[in-house]
Amino acid sequence: MNQFAALDIHISLAAETLFSIGGFHVTNAVLMGVMGLLIFLGIFIYVTQMVKKGRYNRFVGLVQWAFEGMLGAIDTVIPDKVLARKIAPLALTIFFFVLVSYWISIIPGVGSITYNGVPLFRSLAADLNFTFAIAIIVMVMVQIYAIARHGFFGNVRRYIRNPLKDPIGAFEGFLELIGEVSRGSALSLRLFGNAFAGEILLLIIAALTSFMATVTLPFFMAFELFIGFIQAYVFYVLTLIFTALAVDIHGGHQAHPEHSHHPDHSPSAGKRKTVAARE
Amino acid sequence: MNILTQLAATEPASGGVLGALGIDLWMLVFQAIAFLILVLVLGKYVYPTLIKVVDDRQAKIEASTAAATEAEKKAVEAKDVTEKLMKQARKEAAEIVTTAKEEAAAALELADTKSKERAERIIADAHLQINKDIVAAKKVLHNETLELVALATEQVIGKTISPKVDDAVISAAVKGAK
Repeated sequence: MNQFAALDIHISLAAETLFSIGGFHVTNAVLMGVMGLLIFLGIFIYVTQMVKKGRYNRFVGLVQWAFEGMLGAIDTVIPDKVLARKIAPLALTIFFFVLVSYWISIIPGVGSITYNGVPLFRSLAADLNFTFAIAIIVMVMVQIYAIARHGFFGNVRRYIRNPLKDPIGAFEGFLELIGEVSRGSALSLRLFGNAFAGEILLLIIAALTSFMATVTLPFFMAFELFIGFIQAYVFYVLTLIFTALAVDIHGGHQAHPEHSHHPDHSPSAGKRKTVAARE
Repeated sequence: MNILTQLAATEPASGGVLGALGIDLWMLVFQAIAFLILVLVLGKYVYPTLIKVVDDRQAKIEASTAAATEAEKKAVEAKDVTEKLMKQARKEAAEIVTTAKEEAAAALELADTKSKERAERIIADAHLQINKDIVAAKKVLHNETLELVALATEQVIGKTISPKVDDAVISAAVKGAK
């Protein structure tokens, strides 16, 4: 413990404010998020322009390959092609942006370069504001797609059922409601925990190995790259799975056939029938 | 211990558990809006191009697969048709060969018969000619015999007998000989 104390590692659970612009606190996570955003946009705008011009190189091919793989995974998890194409922008942005944000936090200097005693850079994924923000967006979008599929009251019936007629269903609905909250929390906390732990791990390894850090750190950086990919992929896949579960007609109602016989008068019903017929 | 102290120290400074975790409502809303704008911008200007490329490639692959399947089906059909045609051709060829053999055998038999008939006719003609020659030779021989007999008789008798007497004598001699 004395050794850890002697290292004087600066660790803060919350992102720290660097400066303020008109009352808005610019934190180290926001600064790095902007950097990640610029890199992310730069990559995709460059690839899009190259694809539009029909000029391909290895980098464009690599991004296209990754993009195609992710798009294919969406089609696999969500069989409804129309819905898959609707959810694609959100899911793809989550994957690629989280990946870029996580990976740039491995760049040497994150945590060690300070400004007024505060680390200048901090991974955006290690800021609960960001992870909670995208988790909330995901959960809200899932509800929107569920309402579009089942109708407003149909969606409400997924959570609230008459306990006198269907006590097990009512309990299941209550559990489903708790599940929605826990899914959102787990989504955000999982990503935050991994990113935050990753940063601390790199700091501690760098501090413990001192001059040998140039030898030891690359191994842990490679490990963090792998973890970053896993976390981005997990977030992305869970987004798709939550959406698929929420819009699945047979999913929650299969155990209670009485619910599945409700006539669907929602505006989307006709469209769904058209899509189903087309498929 | 220093780490734990620092973590513990953040809670009262930021106000509440959410504050200690660094959750700021305005920052959260700002980041959510920023992320939504990013999703909308990418969904409108970037992803459609990339998705179109993927869809086009997928459509090409599906079209190629369908064409390959169709070609394979046609190849199988063509193979069946070819086999059927070959079978029919072999059957027809066998029939033609059989017919040709039968016709050849018939022609050979006909030719054989004709040649036999012709040979028999030639032989018959030859027999007829020989008989005619024999008859003619006999006649010549008869006449020559008669002349010789006449000459011999003339020599024996020593005088020339008139043809009338001659004939009478000869006829009597022939009758007697018979």
